Amino acid sequence: MKWTRICNWIAGFCWLTLAVPSAGAAIDGIPGPTFNLTAAADTISMPDGGSVPVWGYGPEGSRSQYPGPTLIVNQGDTVTVALSSEIAVNGTPVPTSMLFPGQTGVTASGGSEGLLTRESTGPDDPVTYSFVARRPGTYMYHSGTRPDLQVEMGLLGALIVRPSQGAGLAYNHADSRFDHEYLFLLTEMDPALHEQVAAGNLDGVDTSAYYPMYWFINGRAAPDTMAPAGASWLPTQPYNAMIRTRPGDTMLMRIVGAGRDLHPFHHHGNNTRVIARDGRLLQSAPGAGADLAYSEFTIKTVPGATYDALFHWTGRKMGWDIYGDAPHECNDGDGDDFDDSTWEYCPDHGEPFPVQLPEAQELAFGGQYSGSPFLGTEGSLPPGEGGLNEYGGFFFMWHSHVEKEMTNFDVFPGGMMTMMVVEPPGTPIP
Amino acid sequence: MERILWPCRTALAVAIAAGASGTALAGVTVQCPGDQNGDAISDGRGDPDHPNARCVHLGAGDGYVRMADGRPLYMFGFSDLTGISEKKAMDTGMLAATFPAPTIVADEGDELYLTLTNVGMAVRPDLFDPHTVHYHGFPEASSIFDGVPEASVSINMGSSLTYYYNLVEPGTYMYHCHVEATEHMQMGMLGNLYIRPIQNRLPDGTALGTHVHSNPDYNADRNDDDPTVGDTYAYNDGDGSTRYDVDYAIQLGSFDPAFHDASETTQPLPFAYMEDRYAMLNGRGYPDTVSSTPPQAPAENGGIESQPLDSLIEAQQGERILLRLSNLNVTNFYTVSSQGIPMQVIGRGARILRGGGTPDGRDLYYRTSSVTLGGGEAADVLLDTTGIQPGTYFLYTTNFQYLTNNGADVGGMMTEIVIN
Repeated sequence: MKWTRICNWIAGFCWLTLAVPSAGAAIDGIPGPTFNLTAAADTISMPDGGSVPVWGYGPEGSRSQYPGPTLIVNQGDTVTVALSSEIAVNGTPVPTSMLFPGQTGVTASGGSEGLLTRESTGPDDPVTYSFVARRPGTYMYHSGTRPDLQVEMGLLGALIVRPSQGAGLAYNHADSRFDHEYLFLLTEMDPALHEQVAAGNLDGVDTSAYYPMYWFINGRAAPDTMAPAGASWLPTQPYNAMIRTRPGDTMLMRIVGAGRDLHPFHHHGNNTRVIARDGRLLQSAPGAGADLAYSEFTIKTVPGATYDALFHWTGRKMGWDIYGDAPHECNDGDGDDFDDSTWEYCPDHGEPFPVQLPEAQELAFGGQYSGSPFLGTEGSLPPGEGGLNEYGGFFFMWHSHVEKEMTNFDVFPGGMMTMMVVEPPGTPIP
Repeated sequence: MERILWPCRTALAVAIAAGASGTALAGVTVQCPGDQNGDAISDGRGDPDHPNARCVHLGAGDGYVRMADGRPLYMFGFSDLTGISEKKAMDTGMLAATFPAPTIVADEGDELYLTLTNVGMAVRPDLFDPHTVHYHGFPEASSIFDGVPEASVSINMGSSLTYYYNLVEPGTYMYHCHVEATEHMQMGMLGNLYIRPIQNRLPDGTALGTHVHSNPDYNADRNDDDPTVGDTYAYNDGDGSTRYDVDYAIQLGSFDPAFHDASETTQPLPFAYMEDRYAMLNGRGYPDTVSSTPPQAPAENGGIESQPLDSLIEAQQGERILLRLSNLNVTNFYTVSSQGIPMQVIGRGARILRGGGTPDGRDLYYRTSSVTLGGGEAADVLLDTTGIQPGTYFLYTTNFQYLTNNGADVGGMMTEIVIN
């Protein structure tokens, strides 16, 4: 069997030995503390070719989007969100609003009085919300006007409060340190309700007859979850969920249960440490660190709840050399069993691959298979196979384990699914 | 590349007959260190380079099961081919799928070699689907042995793929096929999998905090030390707090009969309208869950007993029962409740329930009377029967609509706990 090494691996290795840090992945969104949003009707595109009418929040002057913009602020900021509703059904303006669960002392001014908060009843009636972002963490926001319908229609989004102790931390404790962070905002949709609204039947919509047919991560259903962020063909779904990390890096998952169903979110590759829930570090006392964190391979995501989890992968104790016969060294100067730059697990260095793989004609190949079991290596593949694995990374599926939710309107595969890649050391991310 | 395995003689013969190169594998090929005749059982003292090899040979194909109301359902699934010669594997595996799949039990420190042979689907020859094994929850995974077809390889009909895993984390896992996951999992390619901790093998008399470990058959050669003799634990707890006397792996599952019938009759599959109506424990609905005899073998698979596992939980008063609960249905969250016997949750996600999932973490055990699991979730639950009056108790779902077999009550996701 012939293995060919790809240049990226060597290039990446050089990156590290030259100690040039690669910037980590950050979450797409808009910075605060002042936000001017409009709510408007638009449509989203589905991978099965369908489109769904939605209502969404968007930056003033831009199309609305699903989910709404991820609002990113700093702890201690006085956050101000101005909202105007441009939603109308049969020519009649539809009032809408915003709630900020997990925030305290939210004030609303302008607009018109509503049940849960003040509302914008139209373009000429803006409402302004203001609060101090006291606690760091992962939060959501959503409509407080007829929420059973409006949240389903798409009026929701994520809010991230960065801690005062600075970048690279989720909370004000070293236990929350990360190199990369990704958002997993989980929702689902019943397109029949949306069609009724689009047809102007606002009073006839029965949200209790809800039967979801689409499932989303960050507003996209697979395989669109893996398309680039800001893809031109998905103008109202700007956020993706293409998750990438490297051996030894720590990745922060910010999971938001933003829909109405529970989802068991299964992340292949390794257990995570769930360090926070609803914007609160899982700690026994202030300053104790995440001593109440738990380890999981499937995170039970409850509607309205958020979870912060840390993912870390090295291939430790796999029992075989993950770089195979590619020329490489394992230099463990600090005695932690890992190479000091590549995070290779040195006791496995040089250990042969434990089994023989069958001949090509006996196998079916995945598009994200590099042709080699080794990290950073590309092997030979039959014509037309592979091709979706640029750096020879290890791909793992991250998805709802209610596998029914891995479909798009009766078509498998799709839905609440994406891939996470452990790229070879030194691969530039993003 | 240096090879550490000797392909067994028959495999080599097949490979040569197929005109492949000397290192090529073809057809049904078991890879198991120390196994010379291809039955996935080490011969003699095994391979000295791999003294802790544990081998399993599974077939992936189709079959039939009988629901508790008597109705046969078509299914996809795994069969146990361990101990069967390579020559007979295809014939033995055909239509022999069981539900749940054969339970895989191994020990921390084992090297697990699992050979998967795709025996084809006799009732749906039009599908020619490949299959995989996904070890759900195994940590520090590699793509090649993770069983996700998009990210690696899957095995075609008539051939074998061997998965390797170095077992370093004890706990309650599960496994399933990941090819066309929604379909193959609804169809039944699901099984129990758990790894026993190395703490079971400590020398007799070892102090674990205030607990003194018992291991009367202790032997420094682990192959002569039965890990089930003496004290047994769910995890390497360091203090005996996860010690149990009897353990039961119980997998929650459910089937949508309309989906299975559509598959059997080559009709479009109802993904969007999938609604499970047979809720089960270890592949049976109540009262079959407590029957020591399997449900009547379906005629459709030639009379193969395809539901070998009951879920009757039995213990002597005062004993500690470990429930290794997992959920692998593809539509619902299920809550199971133990009536009359308090539950103590000591593990989740195949880790001890302590801060960070490590033995030295802060104690997060909790007492409860119910546990809720979505698909792909697992929990380890201790039932301490100290002071519990002898009698019959129940473990049942509190999603009460699933206490039926396709609407016929009382049945579904329920079993009995008998304290003697």
